[in-house]
Amino acid sequence: MTPQLLAIVMAVVLLLAVIVLLRSYVLPEKYAVIWILAAIAAIVLSAWPGLLAAVSAFFGISSPINLLFVGGFFVVILLLMQVTLELARTRDELRRAIQKIALEQEEQSRSDD
Amino acid sequence: MKVLVAVPALNEGAVLAQVLESLSTVQPLADVVVIDDGSRDATARIAAQAGARVISHAINLGVGAAMGTAFKYAARAGYDAVVQFDGDGQHRPEHIGDLVAALGDADVVIGSRYAQSGTYKSSAARRGVQRLIARVASAYARTRLTDATSGFRIAGPRAVAVFAEYYPAEWLGDTVESIVLATRQGLRVRELPVGMNERAGGVPSQSVFRATLYTGRILFILGLATIRSVPPQVRDARRRNVAKESA
Repeated sequence: MTPQLLAIVMAVVLLLAVIVLLRSYVLPEKYAVIWILAAIAAIVLSAWPGLLAAVSAFFGISSPINLLFVGGFFVVILLLMQVTLELARTRDELRRAIQKIALEQEEQSRSDD
Repeated sequence: MKVLVAVPALNEGAVLAQVLESLSTVQPLADVVVIDDGSRDATARIAAQAGARVISHAINLGVGAAMGTAFKYAARAGYDAVVQFDGDGQHRPEHIGDLVAALGDADVVIGSRYAQSGTYKSSAARRGVQRLIARVASAYARTRLTDATSGFRIAGPRAVAVFAEYYPAEWLGDTVESIVLATRQGLRVRELPVGMNERAGGVPSQSVFRATLYTGRILFILGLATIRSVPPQVRDARRRNVAKESA
């Protein structure tokens, strides 16, 4: 077994996991695109190592693996940023929803008297 | 047949009173529900003053979620059919009767602007996009649909039962994903030619970027629908019904 084969298998497993989660309505469509793209990128990069080497040469990076680390790190930071923003928005919406319920309950208890 | 007209509305305060007044000529406003989807203007107050029922979302959840709320309300209140009717004055109340009549041989009827040589004006690019979407959606529904993204539609008793359990809430999902969902559940979908007005309020999104995003999104939803199974909520509901019947 070559390391390349292992990488391809892992990337395919990632893609299959995304598809299964999408299929069963667990993974929302909103985030599906980015995960499908990530899985496909992983498959392409593992199946075609020459691509990474070529892109590295273009940027003048002597060791292709460094491009993978830098690129992967960048993508992960962006994803993390998106998740943070999403979490902030969700917290804000949750707060507004709870405040509205609380106000309406108060109104109702007054009209019950 | 007890029919509910559901008006999903987001900041439609400027035109809503007029829309409800025109609706009242064909439908008692007590059987009209305005789903105020987190508006920042007086939408809810205007709707209540006009005499319609009002359900307000605490935050903006989108048209799909608003209609989801409407279907849940309809199922609770014992309505047989739900008409989706936009709050921006685009749809014409006189066609509601036609939609109800068309339920005789269908479970979901979609009012189409393009089915007939109508007077509705739209750009060539927009028409091309609509044609592409129509072709794919028609293949799914196994019937001719020329205006699959139309927001003027009616759901009959069997469709209300399904949609009350699950209605696609993500962006544009309510338009085409609901059609695929209905077809998958063995419901019959068809279209009916209707005339529409130019929008009274709001500007339609016309930029090339928006249009591309819109088309890509719809084709993505339709593609996704091919691999998707039944929503868990619908499956559970069906299981409950089977259990009830066998008991």
